[in-house]
Amino acid sequence: MKRTLNEIETFRAQELLLQRATEGLDDAEAHELAALGADEDYSFDLAASAVDIATLKVEVMPIGVADKILIAAGVEASRTMVIPSMAMSTLAGYVPPRMISTGSTIPPNVQLGGGPVVGVVVPLVENQQSQLPPTPVAARFIERPPAPVIPIQSRKRSTSYAWIAAAASIVLAAGAVVWATQREPEVITKEKIVEVPVQPPPRKEPTAAEARAQLLATERDVTTLAWTPTKDPNGAGASGDVVWSATAQRGYMRFVGLTPNDLKQLQYQLWIFDKDRDQAYPVDGGVFDVSSTGEVIVPITARLRVNEPVLFAVTIEQPGGVVVSKRERIVVTAAPKTG
Amino acid sequence: MFPASDRPPDPAPLMGRVAAGDAVAIRECLARYGGLVWSIARRFEYSDAEDAVQEIFLDLWKSAARFDPGIASETAFVAMIARRRLIDRRRSRRRRPTTEQMPEQPTFADPASAPDTCAEASQAARALDQLRPEQRQVLVMSTAHGMSHGEIAAQTGMPLGTVKAHARRGLLSIRAALLGVDQGENP
Repeated sequence: MKRTLNEIETFRAQELLLQRATEGLDDAEAHELAALGADEDYSFDLAASAVDIATLKVEVMPIGVADKILIAAGVEASRTMVIPSMAMSTLAGYVPPRMISTGSTIPPNVQLGGGPVVGVVVPLVENQQSQLPPTPVAARFIERPPAPVIPIQSRKRSTSYAWIAAAASIVLAAGAVVWATQREPEVITKEKIVEVPVQPPPRKEPTAAEARAQLLATERDVTTLAWTPTKDPNGAGASGDVVWSATAQRGYMRFVGLTPNDLKQLQYQLWIFDKDRDQAYPVDGGVFDVSSTGEVIVPITARLRVNEPVLFAVTIEQPGGVVVSKRERIVVTAAPKTG
Repeated sequence: MFPASDRPPDPAPLMGRVAAGDAVAIRECLARYGGLVWSIARRFEYSDAEDAVQEIFLDLWKSAARFDPGIASETAFVAMIARRRLIDRRRSRRRRPTTEQMPEQPTFADPASAPDTCAEASQAARALDQLRPEQRQVLVMSTAHGMSHGEIAAQTGMPLGTVKAHARRGLLSIRAALLGVDQGENP
Protein backbone atom coordinates (compact mmCIF):
# COMPACT_ATOMS: atom_id res chain seq x y z
CA MET A 1 0.00 0.00 0.00
CA LYS A 2 1.27 3.46 -0.83
CA ARG A 3 2.21 5.28 2.34
CA THR A 4 1.33 8.93 3.01
CA LEU A 5 4.32 11.25 2.81
CA ASN A 6 4.86 14.22 5.06
CA GLU A 7 5.67 17.63 3.63
CA ILE A 8 9.43 17.16 3.61
CA GLU A 9 9.16 13.72 2.06
CA THR A 10 6.76 15.02 -0.58
CA PHE A 11 9.18 17.78 -1.50
CA ARG A 12 12.05 15.32 -1.70
CA ALA A 13 10.02 12.86 -3.78
CA GLN A 14 9.12 15.65 -6.20
CA GLU A 15 12.75 16.73 -6.36
CA LEU A 16 13.81 13.21 -7.27
CA LEU A 17 10.98 12.76 -9.77
CA LEU A 18 11.93 16.05 -11.40
CA GLN A 19 15.54 14.95 -11.56
CA ARG A 20 14.59 11.56 -13.00
CA ALA A 21 12.55 13.27 -15.71
CA THR A 22 15.31 15.67 -16.72
CA GLU A 23 18.75 14.47 -15.67
CA GLY A 24 18.26 10.91 -14.46
CA LEU A 25 19.03 9.33 -11.09
CA ASP A 26 21.99 7.40 -9.81
CA ASP A 27 21.44 4.12 -7.99
CA ALA A 28 21.30 5.68 -4.52
CA GLU A 29 18.74 8.26 -5.64
CA ALA A 30 16.64 5.62 -7.42
CA HIS A 31 16.70 3.61 -4.19
CA GLU A 32 15.63 6.63 -2.18
CA LEU A 33 12.73 7.30 -4.55
CA ALA A 34 11.61 3.69 -4.28
CA ALA A 35 11.82 3.87 -0.48
CA LEU A 36 9.51 6.89 -0.59
CA GLY A 37 7.08 4.77 -2.61
CA ALA A 38 7.07 7.29 -5.46
CA ASP A 39 9.05 5.47 -8.11
CA GLU A 40 5.95 4.52 -10.08
CA ASP A 41 4.78 8.10 -10.41
CA TYR A 42 5.44 8.87 -14.09
CA SER A 43 3.62 12.21 -14.18
CA PHE A 44 6.88 14.19 -14.20
CA ASP A 45 8.33 12.04 -16.98
CA LEU A 46 5.12 12.54 -18.93
CA ALA A 47 5.22 16.30 -18.40
CA ALA A 48 8.84 16.47 -19.60
CA SER A 49 7.98 14.33 -22.64
CA ALA A 50 5.02 16.57 -23.44
CA VAL A 51 7.28 19.66 -23.38
CA ASP A 52 9.73 17.80 -25.56
CA ILE A 53 7.10 16.96 -28.17
CA ALA A 54 5.48 20.40 -27.99
CA THR A 55 8.75 22.14 -28.81
CA LEU A 56 9.98 19.65 -31.37
CA LYS A 57 10.58 20.22 -35.04
CA VAL A 58 9.99 16.76 -36.43
CA GLU A 59 12.47 15.63 -39.06
CA VAL A 60 12.24 12.52 -41.20
CA MET A 61 14.40 9.65 -39.98
CA PRO A 62 16.97 8.60 -42.61
CA ILE A 63 16.01 5.40 -44.40
CA GLY A 64 19.34 3.76 -43.59
CA VAL A 65 18.71 4.18 -39.88
CA ALA A 66 15.23 2.68 -40.17
CA ASP A 67 16.64 -0.30 -42.05
CA LYS A 68 19.28 -0.92 -39.39
CA ILE A 69 16.65 -0.87 -36.66
CA LEU A 70 14.49 -3.36 -38.54
CA ILE A 71 17.45 -5.65 -39.03
CA ALA A 72 18.34 -5.40 -35.35
CA ALA A 73 14.73 -6.25 -34.52
CA GLY A 74 14.89 -9.32 -36.75
CA VAL A 75 12.43 -7.81 -39.23
CA GLU A 76 13.19 -7.70 -42.92
CA ALA A 77 14.59 -4.26 -43.68
CA SER A 78 14.36 -2.92 -47.19
CA ARG A 79 11.83 -4.94 -49.11
CA THR A 80 14.40 -6.07 -51.61
CA MET A 81 17.25 -6.56 -49.17
CA VAL A 82 18.17 -10.19 -48.69
CA ILE A 83 19.25 -10.95 -45.17
CA PRO A 84 20.95 -14.35 -45.29
CA SER A 85 20.42 -15.29 -41.67
CA MET A 86 16.69 -14.81 -41.82
CA ALA A 87 15.81 -15.19 -45.47
CA MET A 88 14.28 -18.64 -45.30
CA SER A 89 12.38 -18.15 -42.11
CA THR A 90 10.86 -14.77 -42.72
CA LEU A 91 10.60 -13.99 -46.39
CA ALA A 92 7.06 -14.74 -47.45
CA GLY A 93 6.96 -17.50 -44.86
CA TYR A 94 8.39 -19.86 -47.46
CA VAL A 95 9.03 -23.38 -46.26
CA PRO A 96 10.47 -26.00 -48.60
CA PRO A 97 7.85 -28.51 -49.72
CA ARG A 98 7.82 -31.89 -48.07
CA MET A 99 6.51 -35.13 -49.41
CA ILE A 100 3.43 -36.77 -48.07
CA SER A 101 1.67 -39.85 -49.34
CA THR A 102 -1.48 -38.92 -51.15
CA GLY A 103 -2.66 -38.92 -54.73
CA SER A 104 -2.87 -36.38 -57.47
CA THR A 105 -4.39 -38.73 -60.01
CA ILE A 106 -6.18 -41.94 -59.37
CA PRO A 107 -4.98 -44.87 -61.44
CA PRO A 108 -7.71 -47.03 -63.00
CA ASN A 109 -7.12 -49.91 -60.59
CA VAL A 110 -7.87 -47.88 -57.52
CA GLN A 111 -10.89 -48.93 -55.53
CA LEU A 112 -12.25 -46.08 -53.56
CA GLY A 113 -14.26 -48.02 -51.07
CA GLY A 114 -11.82 -49.88 -48.95
CA GLY A 115 -9.90 -52.29 -51.17
CA PRO A 116 -6.24 -51.94 -52.11
CA VAL A 117 -5.30 -48.53 -53.36
CA VAL A 118 -2.28 -47.11 -55.04
CA GLY A 119 -0.64 -44.05 -53.66
CA VAL A 120 1.53 -41.68 -55.61
CA VAL A 121 3.49 -38.81 -54.25
CA VAL A 122 2.76 -35.18 -54.81
CA PRO A 123 4.30 -32.28 -53.00
CA LEU A 124 2.34 -30.32 -50.48
CA VAL A 125 3.77 -27.22 -48.96
CA GLU A 126 3.81 -27.67 -45.23
CA ASN A 127 2.54 -24.26 -44.26
CA GLN A 128 -0.33 -24.58 -46.69
CA GLN A 129 -1.29 -27.80 -45.03
CA SER A 130 -1.47 -26.09 -41.70
CA GLN A 131 -3.77 -23.47 -43.12
CA LEU A 132 -6.27 -25.94 -44.54
CA PRO A 133 -9.72 -25.60 -43.02
CA PRO A 134 -10.51 -28.30 -40.48
CA THR A 135 -13.16 -29.91 -42.65
CA PRO A 136 -13.98 -33.57 -42.12
CA VAL A 137 -12.23 -35.99 -44.38
CA ALA A 138 -14.49 -36.86 -47.27
CA ALA A 139 -11.97 -38.25 -49.71
CA ARG A 140 -8.49 -39.62 -49.47
CA PHE A 141 -7.21 -38.35 -52.75
CA ILE A 142 -7.26 -34.72 -53.65
CA GLU A 143 -5.67 -32.66 -56.27
CA ARG A 144 -3.75 -29.67 -55.08
CA PRO A 145 -5.29 -26.55 -56.64
CA PRO A 146 -3.06 -24.44 -58.78
CA ALA A 147 -1.56 -21.35 -57.19
CA PRO A 148 -3.93 -18.41 -57.55
CA VAL A 149 -3.13 -16.13 -60.44
CA ILE A 150 -2.61 -12.58 -59.28
CA PRO A 151 -2.97 -10.26 -62.23
CA ILE A 152 -0.80 -7.44 -60.98
CA GLN A 153 1.90 -8.07 -58.45
CA SER A 154 2.49 -5.20 -56.09
CA ARG A 155 5.24 -6.95 -54.15
CA LYS A 156 8.22 -8.20 -56.07
CA ARG A 157 9.50 -10.31 -53.20
CA SER A 158 6.34 -12.35 -52.81
CA THR A 159 6.37 -12.90 -56.57
CA SER A 160 9.87 -14.33 -56.46
CA TYR A 161 9.12 -16.74 -53.68
CA ALA A 162 5.82 -17.77 -55.16
CA TRP A 163 7.74 -18.62 -58.31
CA ILE A 164 10.35 -20.57 -56.36
CA ALA A 165 7.62 -22.53 -54.60
CA ALA A 166 5.78 -23.12 -57.86
CA ALA A 167 8.97 -24.24 -59.62
CA ALA A 168 9.79 -26.60 -56.76
CA SER A 169 6.29 -28.06 -56.98
CA ILE A 170 6.61 -28.66 -60.73
CA VAL A 171 9.99 -30.36 -60.34
CA LEU A 172 8.75 -32.59 -57.57
CA ALA A 173 5.52 -33.40 -59.40
CA ALA A 174 7.50 -34.33 -62.51
CA GLY A 175 9.71 -36.54 -60.39
CA ALA A 176 6.66 -38.18 -58.94
CA VAL A 177 5.31 -39.02 -62.37
CA VAL A 178 8.63 -40.60 -63.38
CA TRP A 179 8.76 -42.49 -60.13
CA ALA A 180 5.20 -43.73 -60.51
CA THR A 181 5.69 -44.95 -64.07
CA GLN A 182 9.01 -46.70 -63.49
CA ARG A 183 8.03 -49.01 -60.68
CA GLU A 184 5.31 -51.44 -59.87
CA PRO A 185 2.38 -49.96 -58.02
CA GLU A 186 2.79 -50.50 -54.32
CA VAL A 187 -0.21 -52.03 -52.67
CA ILE A 188 -0.85 -50.40 -49.37
CA THR A 189 -3.40 -51.26 -46.78
CA LYS A 190 -6.11 -49.02 -45.42
CA GLU A 191 -4.07 -48.37 -42.29
CA LYS A 192 -1.29 -46.83 -44.34
CA ILE A 193 -3.50 -44.29 -46.03
CA VAL A 194 -2.85 -40.76 -44.92
CA GLU A 195 -6.05 -38.88 -44.48
CA VAL A 196 -5.90 -35.41 -45.91
CA PRO A 197 -8.51 -32.75 -45.22
CA VAL A 198 -10.52 -31.82 -48.23
CA GLN A 199 -9.61 -28.48 -49.72
CA PRO A 200 -12.41 -26.50 -51.35
CA PRO A 201 -12.32 -26.53 -55.13
CA PRO A 202 -10.07 -23.90 -56.65
CA ARG A 203 -11.82 -20.59 -57.12
CA LYS A 204 -11.07 -18.40 -60.06
CA GLU A 205 -9.47 -15.19 -58.82
CA PRO A 206 -11.04 -12.13 -60.40
CA THR A 207 -8.77 -9.90 -62.40
CA ALA A 208 -7.95 -6.49 -60.95
CA ALA A 209 -10.35 -4.92 -63.43
CA GLU A 210 -13.14 -7.29 -62.37
CA ALA A 211 -12.42 -6.71 -58.70
CA ARG A 212 -12.48 -2.95 -59.23
CA ALA A 213 -15.80 -3.14 -61.04
CA GLN A 214 -17.19 -5.34 -58.30
CA LEU A 215 -16.08 -2.86 -55.63
CA LEU A 216 -17.75 0.00 -57.50
CA ALA A 217 -20.92 -2.06 -57.85
CA THR A 218 -21.19 -3.34 -54.30
CA GLU A 219 -19.86 -0.64 -51.97
CA ARG A 220 -21.83 2.56 -51.48
CA ASP A 221 -19.02 4.65 -50.05
CA VAL A 222 -16.54 4.35 -52.91
CA THR A 223 -14.61 7.55 -53.51
CA THR A 224 -13.37 8.03 -57.08
CA LEU A 225 -10.66 10.62 -57.62
CA ALA A 226 -8.90 11.51 -60.88
CA TRP A 227 -5.10 11.50 -61.02
CA THR A 228 -3.33 14.78 -61.64
CA PRO A 229 0.16 14.38 -63.09
CA THR A 230 3.00 16.44 -61.64
CA LYS A 231 5.95 17.79 -63.61
CA ASP A 232 7.83 14.54 -63.12
CA PRO A 233 8.63 13.08 -66.56
CA ASN A 234 7.27 9.64 -65.59
CA GLY A 235 3.87 11.13 -64.92
CA ALA A 236 3.66 13.43 -67.93
CA GLY A 237 0.42 12.76 -69.76
CA ALA A 238 -0.71 10.13 -67.27
CA SER A 239 -4.37 9.92 -66.43
CA GLY A 240 -6.75 7.56 -64.68
CA ASP A 241 -8.29 7.45 -61.26
CA VAL A 242 -8.17 5.91 -57.84
CA VAL A 243 -11.14 4.31 -56.11
CA TRP A 244 -11.31 3.63 -52.39
CA SER A 245 -13.94 2.24 -50.05
CA ALA A 246 -13.43 2.95 -46.36
CA THR A 247 -16.02 0.30 -45.48
CA ALA A 248 -14.32 -2.43 -47.47
CA GLN A 249 -10.84 -1.01 -46.86
CA ARG A 250 -10.11 -1.80 -50.47
CA GLY A 251 -9.27 0.26 -53.49
CA TYR A 252 -7.72 0.24 -56.94
CA MET A 253 -5.56 2.58 -58.97
CA ARG A 254 -6.17 2.88 -62.70
CA PHE A 255 -3.50 4.44 -64.88
CA VAL A 256 -3.27 5.23 -68.55
CA GLY A 257 -0.02 6.61 -69.90
CA LEU A 258 2.12 6.16 -66.79
CA THR A 259 5.70 5.45 -67.85
CA PRO A 260 6.61 1.75 -67.48
CA ASN A 261 9.32 1.20 -64.89
CA ASP A 262 12.43 -0.94 -64.91
CA LEU A 263 11.99 -2.74 -61.63
CA LYS A 264 15.74 -3.12 -61.24
CA GLN A 265 16.01 0.66 -61.13
CA LEU A 266 12.87 1.93 -59.49
CA GLN A 267 9.34 1.11 -58.45
CA TYR A 268 6.21 3.13 -57.91
CA GLN A 269 4.83 3.42 -54.40
CA LEU A 270 1.45 4.71 -53.29
CA TRP A 271 0.99 6.86 -50.19
CA ILE A 272 -2.41 7.59 -48.67
CA PHE A 273 -2.90 10.64 -46.49
CA ASP A 274 -5.72 9.94 -44.06
CA LYS A 275 -7.59 12.78 -42.38
CA ASP A 276 -7.47 10.87 -39.10
CA ARG A 277 -3.70 10.47 -39.13
CA ASP A 278 -0.64 12.65 -38.79
CA GLN A 279 0.02 14.03 -42.27
CA ALA A 280 3.74 13.56 -41.71
CA TYR A 281 3.17 9.80 -41.81
CA PRO A 282 1.03 8.81 -44.77
CA VAL A 283 -0.07 5.21 -45.00
CA ASP A 284 2.01 2.99 -47.29
CA GLY A 285 -0.36 1.90 -50.06
CA GLY A 286 2.00 -0.60 -51.65
CA VAL A 287 4.77 -0.84 -54.22
CA PHE A 288 3.84 -1.62 -57.79
CA ASP A 289 5.14 -1.89 -61.34
CA VAL A 290 3.76 -0.56 -64.58
CA SER A 291 4.50 -2.65 -67.64
CA SER A 292 2.74 -0.70 -70.36
CA THR A 293 1.40 2.73 -71.16
CA GLY A 294 -2.02 1.22 -71.77
CA GLU A 295 -4.60 0.86 -69.02
CA VAL A 296 -3.13 -0.65 -65.90
CA ILE A 297 -5.15 -1.44 -62.77
CA VAL A 298 -3.33 -1.93 -59.51
CA PRO A 299 -4.91 -3.10 -56.25
CA ILE A 300 -4.12 -0.91 -53.24
CA THR A 301 -2.47 -2.75 -50.36
CA ALA A 302 -2.80 -0.26 -47.52
CA ARG A 303 -0.69 -1.20 -44.50
CA LEU A 304 -2.99 0.58 -42.06
CA ARG A 305 -6.66 1.41 -41.87
CA VAL A 306 -7.60 4.45 -43.96
CA ASN A 307 -10.84 6.13 -42.94
CA GLU A 308 -10.94 9.36 -44.88
CA PRO A 309 -8.27 9.75 -47.55
CA VAL A 310 -7.48 13.38 -48.30
CA LEU A 311 -4.69 12.75 -50.76
CA PHE A 312 -3.30 9.85 -52.76
CA ALA A 313 0.23 10.33 -54.02
CA VAL A 314 2.39 8.03 -56.13
CA THR A 315 6.14 8.41 -55.70
CA ILE A 316 9.12 6.83 -57.40
CA GLU A 317 11.25 4.89 -54.98
CA GLN A 318 14.11 2.43 -54.91
CA PRO A 319 13.17 -1.14 -55.87
CA GLY A 320 11.19 -2.66 -53.02
CA GLY A 321 9.92 0.68 -51.78
CA VAL A 322 10.74 2.58 -48.64
CA VAL A 323 9.35 2.87 -45.13
CA VAL A 324 9.38 6.67 -45.22
CA SER A 325 9.45 8.50 -48.53
CA LYS A 326 11.69 11.47 -49.13
CA ARG A 327 9.01 12.60 -51.59
CA GLU A 328 11.67 13.62 -54.08
CA ARG A 329 9.76 12.30 -57.09
CA ILE A 330 6.01 12.55 -56.86
CA VAL A 331 4.47 11.36 -60.11
CA VAL A 332 0.72 11.75 -59.74
CA THR A 333 -1.65 12.85 -57.02
CA ALA A 334 -5.38 12.62 -56.46
CA ALA A 335 -7.34 14.65 -53.94
CA PRO A 336 -10.96 15.57 -53.36
CA LYS A 337 -11.90 18.98 -54.71
CA THR A 338 -12.16 21.59 -51.99
CA GLY A 339 -14.68 24.38 -51.73
CA MET B 1 -5.91 10.99 -17.01
CA PHE B 2 -7.41 13.22 -19.69
CA PRO B 3 -11.07 13.89 -20.37
CA ALA B 4 -12.03 11.91 -23.45
CA SER B 5 -13.22 15.02 -25.29
CA ASP B 6 -9.84 16.71 -24.83
CA ARG B 7 -7.94 14.04 -26.72
CA PRO B 8 -7.60 13.97 -30.46
CA PRO B 9 -8.52 10.58 -31.87
CA ASP B 10 -5.42 8.42 -31.62
CA PRO B 11 -4.59 6.12 -34.50
CA ALA B 12 -5.02 2.45 -33.69
CA PRO B 13 -2.43 1.64 -30.99
CA LEU B 14 0.45 -0.52 -32.02
CA MET B 15 2.14 -1.39 -28.75
CA GLY B 16 0.10 -4.53 -28.07
CA ARG B 17 1.01 -5.95 -31.46
CA VAL B 18 4.61 -4.83 -31.11
CA ALA B 19 4.82 -6.57 -27.75
CA ALA B 20 3.54 -9.73 -29.42
CA GLY B 21 6.37 -9.54 -31.95
CA ASP B 22 4.15 -8.70 -34.94
CA ALA B 23 6.63 -7.76 -37.67
CA VAL B 24 4.07 -5.63 -39.52
CA ALA B 25 3.37 -3.66 -36.34
CA ILE B 26 7.10 -3.14 -35.82
CA ARG B 27 7.35 -1.68 -39.31
CA GLU B 28 4.30 0.50 -38.70
CA CYS B 29 5.72 1.63 -35.38
CA LEU B 30 8.92 2.69 -37.05
CA ALA B 31 7.03 4.52 -39.78
CA ARG B 32 4.74 6.23 -37.28
CA TYR B 33 7.24 7.19 -34.60
CA GLY B 34 10.57 7.17 -36.46
CA GLY B 35 10.51 10.91 -37.11
CA LEU B 36 9.52 11.71 -33.54
CA VAL B 37 12.24 9.57 -31.98
CA TRP B 38 14.85 10.68 -34.49
CA SER B 39 14.07 14.35 -33.81
CA ILE B 40 14.15 13.95 -30.03
CA ALA B 41 17.45 12.08 -30.28
CA ARG B 42 18.96 14.71 -32.58
CA ARG B 43 18.32 17.39 -29.97
CA PHE B 44 19.87 15.29 -27.23
CA GLU B 45 22.69 13.77 -29.23
CA TYR B 46 23.42 15.82 -32.30
CA SER B 47 26.58 13.81 -33.00
CA ASP B 48 25.44 10.28 -32.21
CA ALA B 49 21.73 10.24 -32.89
CA GLU B 50 21.86 7.16 -35.10
CA ASP B 51 23.12 4.84 -32.36
CA ALA B 52 20.78 6.41 -29.85
CA VAL B 53 17.74 5.87 -32.07
CA GLN B 54 18.60 2.21 -32.55
CA GLU B 55 18.89 1.72 -28.80
CA ILE B 56 15.61 3.53 -28.22
CA PHE B 57 13.66 1.37 -30.65
CA LEU B 58 15.13 -1.84 -29.29
CA ASP B 59 14.14 -0.61 -25.84
CA LEU B 60 10.68 0.20 -27.17
CA TRP B 61 10.12 -3.32 -28.54
CA LYS B 62 10.99 -4.67 -25.08
CA SER B 63 8.89 -2.14 -23.17
CA ALA B 64 5.84 -2.14 -25.45
CA ALA B 65 3.87 -4.45 -23.16
CA ARG B 66 4.01 -1.81 -20.43
CA PHE B 67 2.03 0.69 -22.48
CA ASP B 68 -1.15 1.76 -20.66
CA PRO B 69 -3.47 4.03 -22.67
CA GLY B 70 -5.03 5.16 -19.40
CA ILE B 71 -1.78 6.85 -18.39
CA ALA B 72 -0.51 8.37 -21.62
CA SER B 73 -1.08 8.45 -25.32
CA GLU B 74 1.07 6.11 -27.38
CA THR B 75 3.03 9.07 -28.76
CA ALA B 76 3.83 10.30 -25.26
CA PHE B 77 4.74 6.76 -24.18
CA VAL B 78 7.21 6.48 -27.06
CA ALA B 79 8.68 9.87 -26.18
CA MET B 80 9.05 8.82 -22.53
CA ILE B 81 10.95 5.68 -23.51
CA ALA B 82 13.13 7.75 -25.85
CA ARG B 83 13.91 10.32 -23.19
CA ARG B 84 14.72 7.73 -20.56
CA ARG B 85 17.24 6.09 -22.86
CA LEU B 86 18.75 9.40 -23.94
CA ILE B 87 19.10 10.55 -20.33
CA ASP B 88 20.82 7.28 -19.46
CA ARG B 89 23.21 7.67 -22.37
CA ARG B 90 23.99 11.23 -21.38
CA ARG B 91 24.65 10.27 -17.75
CA SER B 92 26.91 7.45 -18.81
CA ARG B 93 28.81 9.76 -21.13
CA ARG B 94 29.27 12.32 -18.37
CA ARG B 95 30.98 9.68 -16.25
CA ARG B 96 33.79 9.40 -18.77
CA PRO B 97 35.90 12.09 -20.42
CA THR B 98 34.49 13.33 -23.69
CA THR B 99 35.53 15.73 -26.38
CA GLU B 100 31.97 16.37 -27.49
CA GLN B 101 31.13 20.05 -27.72
CA MET B 102 27.89 21.51 -26.50
CA PRO B 103 26.02 23.58 -29.06
CA GLU B 104 26.69 27.29 -28.84
CA GLN B 105 23.06 28.16 -28.40
CA PRO B 106 20.26 25.62 -28.35
CA THR B 107 17.59 26.32 -30.90
CA PHE B 108 13.96 25.96 -29.98
CA ALA B 109 11.01 25.34 -32.18
CA ASP B 110 8.22 27.78 -31.51
CA PRO B 111 5.69 25.80 -29.43
CA ALA B 112 2.92 27.42 -31.43
CA SER B 113 4.27 25.87 -34.63
CA ALA B 114 5.10 22.51 -33.13
CA PRO B 115 3.34 19.42 -34.46
CA ASP B 116 0.07 18.69 -32.72
CA THR B 117 0.95 15.06 -32.29
CA CYS B 118 -0.83 14.20 -29.06
CA ALA B 119 -3.12 15.71 -26.48
CA GLU B 120 -0.31 15.97 -23.93
CA ALA B 121 1.81 18.06 -26.30
CA SER B 122 -1.09 20.44 -27.02
CA GLN B 123 -1.73 20.89 -23.30
CA ALA B 124 1.96 21.36 -22.63
CA ALA B 125 2.20 24.00 -25.37
CA ARG B 126 -0.67 25.93 -23.81
CA ALA B 127 0.88 25.63 -20.35
CA LEU B 128 4.29 26.74 -21.64
CA ASP B 129 2.68 29.94 -22.93
CA GLN B 130 1.59 30.72 -19.37
CA LEU B 131 5.11 30.46 -17.91
CA ARG B 132 7.43 33.39 -17.36
CA PRO B 133 9.97 33.65 -20.21
CA GLU B 134 12.96 32.70 -18.06
CA GLN B 135 11.03 29.77 -16.57
CA ARG B 136 10.10 28.56 -20.03
CA GLN B 137 13.68 28.95 -21.25
CA VAL B 138 15.11 26.90 -18.39
CA LEU B 139 12.43 24.23 -18.69
CA VAL B 140 12.96 23.79 -22.43
CA MET B 141 16.75 23.69 -22.07
CA SER B 142 16.38 21.11 -19.34
CA THR B 143 13.68 18.85 -20.77
CA ALA B 144 14.02 19.21 -24.52
CA HIS B 145 17.80 19.48 -24.77
CA GLY B 146 18.75 17.36 -21.80
CA MET B 147 21.02 20.05 -20.38
CA SER B 148 21.97 19.76 -16.71
CA HIS B 149 21.12 22.55 -14.33
CA GLY B 150 24.81 23.36 -14.10
CA GLU B 151 25.09 23.63 -17.88
CA ILE B 152 22.02 25.85 -18.02
CA ALA B 153 23.45 28.08 -15.30
CA ALA B 154 26.72 28.34 -17.20
CA GLN B 155 24.94 29.07 -20.46
CA THR B 156 22.42 31.61 -19.18
CA GLY B 157 24.41 33.20 -16.35
CA MET B 158 21.59 32.49 -13.88
CA PRO B 159 22.56 31.31 -10.39
CA LEU B 160 22.27 27.52 -10.04
CA GLY B 161 19.58 27.85 -7.36
CA THR B 162 17.49 30.00 -9.68
CA VAL B 163 17.84 27.49 -12.49
CA LYS B 164 16.70 24.71 -10.18
CA ALA B 165 13.74 26.73 -8.98
CA HIS B 166 12.67 27.63 -12.54
CA ALA B 167 12.98 24.03 -13.69
CA ARG B 168 10.98 22.75 -10.75
CA ARG B 169 8.19 25.32 -10.92
CA GLY B 170 8.01 25.07 -14.68
CA LEU B 171 7.66 21.30 -14.77
CA LEU B 172 5.18 21.33 -11.88
CA SER B 173 3.05 23.75 -13.91
CA ILE B 174 3.10 21.52 -16.97
CA ARG B 175 2.35 18.45 -14.86
CA ALA B 176 -0.57 20.24 -13.18
CA ALA B 177 -1.95 21.21 -16.61
CA LEU B 178 -1.75 17.59 -17.78
CA LEU B 179 -3.38 16.27 -14.62
CA GLY B 180 -6.00 19.01 -14.67
CA VAL B 181 -5.24 20.11 -11.10
CA ASP B 182 -3.91 23.22 -9.37
CA GLN B 183 -0.17 23.33 -9.08
CA GLY B 184 -0.36 23.18 -5.30
CA GLU B 185 -2.23 19.89 -5.38
CA ASN B 186 -0.31 16.67 -5.25
CA PRO B 187 -2.48 13.89 -6.61
